[in-house]
Amino acid sequence: MQPFDPIELAVFKSATRSIADEMGAALRRTAFSPNVKERRDYSCAIFNGLGQLIAMGDHMPVHLGSMPMSVRAAIDSLALSKGDIALLNDPFEGGTHLPDLTMVLPVFVDRQDQPVFYAAARAHHADVGGRYPGSMGLCRDIYQEGLRIPPVKFVRQGVMDRDLMRAILANVRTPEEREGDLAAQMGACRVGEARLLELISRHGLDKAERLSAALLDYCERLMRAELASMPAGSFAAEDFLDDDGFGSAPLRISATIHLDPPRGTAVVDFAGSSPQVRSSVNAVFAVTYSATFYVFRCLLPEDAPANAGLMRSIAVNAPRGCMVNASHPAAVAAGNVETSQRIVDVLLHALAEAIPGRVPAASSGTMSNLTIGGIDPRSDRPFAYYETIAGGMGARPTADGLSGVHTHMTNSLNTPIEALEYAYPFRVVRYGMRAGSGGQGRFRGGDGLIRELELLADAQVTLLSDRANFQPYGLAGGKPGASGGAVHIEKQTSSRLPAKCNVHAKKGDRIRIETPGGGGWGKPAP
Amino acid sequence: MRIAIDSGGTFTDCVYVEGGLLKLLKVLSSAADPGNSVLESLRRIRPHHPPEVRHGTTIGTNALLERTGARVAFVTTAGFEDTIAIGRQARHNLYNWMASPRPCLVPPECRFGVSERVSESGAILAAPREEELVALCEQVRSSGAESVAVSLLFSFQNPENERRLATALKQLGIPISVSHQILPEFREYERASTVVANAYLAVKAGAYLSRLEAHIEREFRGSLYVMQSSGGIISAKLAAEEPVRTVLSGPAGGAVGAHRVAQLAGFKNIIAFDMGGTSTDVSLIDSLGPRPTSEARVAEIPVSVPILDIHTVGAGGGSLAWFDRGGILTVGPMSAGAEPGPICYGRGEQPTVTDANLLLGRLDCDLPLGGCVQLEENRTRTLMEKARRAIPSVEEFSRGIIRVAESEMERAIRLISVERGRDAREFVLVCFGGAGPLHACSLARALAIPWVLVPAMAGAVSALGILMSEVVRDYSRTVMITVSSDRRSFDHQVIMAKRWRELKALLEPHFTALEVIGEAEFLKQGLTGIAMRSADLRYAGQGYELNVPADDRMLEGFHREHHRRYGHADRDRPVEVVNLRVRLISPGETIELPKAERADADPSPALTKKKPVMFGERWLETSVFDRHRLKPGNRFQGPAVVHEYSATTIVPPESSVEVDDFSNLVIRV
Repeated sequence: MQPFDPIELAVFKSATRSIADEMGAALRRTAFSPNVKERRDYSCAIFNGLGQLIAMGDHMPVHLGSMPMSVRAAIDSLALSKGDIALLNDPFEGGTHLPDLTMVLPVFVDRQDQPVFYAAARAHHADVGGRYPGSMGLCRDIYQEGLRIPPVKFVRQGVMDRDLMRAILANVRTPEEREGDLAAQMGACRVGEARLLELISRHGLDKAERLSAALLDYCERLMRAELASMPAGSFAAEDFLDDDGFGSAPLRISATIHLDPPRGTAVVDFAGSSPQVRSSVNAVFAVTYSATFYVFRCLLPEDAPANAGLMRSIAVNAPRGCMVNASHPAAVAAGNVETSQRIVDVLLHALAEAIPGRVPAASSGTMSNLTIGGIDPRSDRPFAYYETIAGGMGARPTADGLSGVHTHMTNSLNTPIEALEYAYPFRVVRYGMRAGSGGQGRFRGGDGLIRELELLADAQVTLLSDRANFQPYGLAGGKPGASGGAVHIEKQTSSRLPAKCNVHAKKGDRIRIETPGGGGWGKPAP
Repeated sequence: MRIAIDSGGTFTDCVYVEGGLLKLLKVLSSAADPGNSVLESLRRIRPHHPPEVRHGTTIGTNALLERTGARVAFVTTAGFEDTIAIGRQARHNLYNWMASPRPCLVPPECRFGVSERVSESGAILAAPREEELVALCEQVRSSGAESVAVSLLFSFQNPENERRLATALKQLGIPISVSHQILPEFREYERASTVVANAYLAVKAGAYLSRLEAHIEREFRGSLYVMQSSGGIISAKLAAEEPVRTVLSGPAGGAVGAHRVAQLAGFKNIIAFDMGGTSTDVSLIDSLGPRPTSEARVAEIPVSVPILDIHTVGAGGGSLAWFDRGGILTVGPMSAGAEPGPICYGRGEQPTVTDANLLLGRLDCDLPLGGCVQLEENRTRTLMEKARRAIPSVEEFSRGIIRVAESEMERAIRLISVERGRDAREFVLVCFGGAGPLHACSLARALAIPWVLVPAMAGAVSALGILMSEVVRDYSRTVMITVSSDRRSFDHQVIMAKRWRELKALLEPHFTALEVIGEAEFLKQGLTGIAMRSADLRYAGQGYELNVPADDRMLEGFHREHHRRYGHADRDRPVEVVNLRVRLISPGETIELPKAERADADPSPALTKKKPVMFGERWLETSVFDRHRLKPGNRFQGPAVVHEYSATTIVPPESSVEVDDFSNLVIRV
């Protein structure tokens, strides 16, 4: 490890972070779809010439560890030259799930024939074709989920491949929006390139490379110091997804964390997790790696940069073909939004044994994805509404969990009720805390939410959620949070809906979603 | 006689014109009651005409920051009582499980629902029943609420239900803040949050302003006005009813002041850089003048009434320097504050940015800072020696602290300029606050900003802005009308894009209604106003709007603004007219800034001494000037230091300075 200059490195850390933030701002400013602009489902990052993550903006936690794999895949399968931009979304070659399209731009300087840095921008696109509008419905395999793009050169020496663009746009439901968002991603990568070149000219290439290396070493030191302070041993936990949405048995996720404080390392092993299934709940390794990255990153101070150095001392093993390292041709759309949350739950449960004073009880553990589609009678036009509904946060060892808030791998905003009723044919009748759903304990789990809406037109309702059967666990004697549920209320009757379902509802029907509460922490007072 | 009085943490600044001269008075702020310092200043000024007192107040900001406002009852549509606490369901700290946001301003037992509902088109689907209103009053009374906020769903489309509630609640005899009056705009959470913030401040700010106004009337036969966060002035009476409009009173004064001063000096586009002891405010104003945002957060609370777009970072002269766990030098966000203060003030023990400036020769022990503190150099050197760890010397440590602090400032300025599609090279950096002029030139170089301007009254720019502001009142309402050229989506709310006259006819009654309300309010104060119409537009399906003037070129103006800000526009896409805005302005008399007599280029009469100051890695023999003895027309080259009562300006080598007619320092970086 090189000695480093604490001042130079501080300034470099700030500058690289600023580049990632500025790329993100450019993407958000120029994107066309609400998913990027409003829900902020995107990430931007910069990498050194070896493809190691140097800095990433605070965007979506689920992209943390998976961006580097996209860059790796682009480097490995394409000979990128100056002016090129790679594009990919293939979950089995550097991607996560199909809606996440990632672009990678190599940065060259004079007299170097290899890229010296990379800039990458990822955005969740609202539709990439496939069986269901929004490309997030339950499918049996990847072919039903939408358009799959292996790493390809989308831009060659500064010129975009128009034929490739046409081929992509021909396969998606909202081509204008996609075109706008892809242009925004290219723009973001170029902002990254311009700022990286500025950085290089300020410091000189040699020094910029040395500082990048020093920044990675610095993060490695931070993480090793953290791991060195933890108890030695192997800590295991398991938890379940309710089912695959097609009536399967519960799906197991197991993890063992082996901590070796003298060496400052950790090995995370997912052996024992269920084999992959014929449904969208599979996660590719990139998602599992991201969830692990997220959990360990949270052990460090908030302003620690998220880069490759943090993960140098942590190994992640998952057997190929299991549901946390799914292989072709598994469907994977929900791996990002549901399975990723359960992976975090399992890792936290294992860590709670090692460092009980620092880990919260389980949070809601599902993003409660609700999609409603049909024809709006006010305009006779089709509409498609997608939203995730927050739940309760697990109680902390020092405080109650927060209520009605997105936790862990997501942080997207809700749509205002008044905005929603202008845009879609339904009326919200209730949006509030689900009192008593947080687990009891010395500190209480946060409450989940209740969202109930009345349909003003016939519609197709798709629910993709979990934790209907397996409750969010409590810790240190705290009680579990209440499980989630959904009800379809018709004129005469009302019926409970499965956590993953697709139902046809009539005008005047109501749909009520109750999201899980967080687990409690510590024995409740008698 | 117009007198601007800006309350600050340490000083209360007063600026006024007397006998053709611009005068400045600084009075120590009273911690117990800021009103005492206002009255104290007036007594010292002894106005010989009834004064028009214009006040920049921190009473609202502080109550929000310290959470010392009223116990508020929140009344909304039944089923939505918790929306004030849910907010946008996102968390503030992405990677910190232990972080807790500050609790909602309304405790759970003070949230009440009423069975009523208005639809998105304004139809009343359910009206509250009389018995329910009676019961509600009783519940609010027994909750112990001192102030009540009412915000029902779609109240801006049809305020009928809200009016009935407000009438019923009147009997409680406590302040009532009602959403269709304060912010008749859509997005229930941001609207409710604004109304709740108003109710939260109504008791404290209301009492403060009424008391102060009565006092000024009695003792000086004067009147009281208050600076709003939007950069305009309103009467104390209105400010007392709607205190939420004044939550960034002082900082708005600073932005307006910086802009006016720069305009007079011949600059159009400015970046205002106000660096104080604990925090730094940056804002951008271009040739179109100050533009308010409706997406501000103050002390974590969304406040959607117009507020100038001011970005604050937690780094200032008093920010502490420390090494993090990985050994990196870090500055802030903790601050030494006023107590214990930086090491050089005599009590602090941890290095701050101010201490670093002192050891590099940029501050002067002989010239007491702000007139009241004698700086202790030896003490500073000893303690900095102890704190520098492996860094070879205190000089290098000091330079490091400044570089790290400036890199944070640079990020803040980039955020409001480059990241919003602006080119920093077209701007002048107007710097003020105690620490601003120390760092401005270095920052300007890093950002390729060609000019730095240090205003003549760098220590009272905010008061100056308040003195020069106009009386302004903002009115708005959501209309949500879709403009489309697509025949298929034609319905009662949809207009063909080409039929501008038809759209205009639809908008006209709304604009007129807003103007009627505004003119009546102005008339009550004996004012006449000029109405400026604008509208918030977006492409159908987008979640955020852009504000453009509502003239015949409104739609084209929107496409252009969208292109300028976001790099693309689509003239075939349906556009939504979301909010209409009317801004009434009463210009009043213009205040002329006095010009000083011009002298020749030679600054030597103002030269106090030469001393070594560190620039880059070298100590350079540097001229030290006394700001008060510099004359318009004086020119000099860096390296130089200019000291004045409340600030110090650093001019690096190769920069050149000219003192302009208004005694501003104009620096070509």
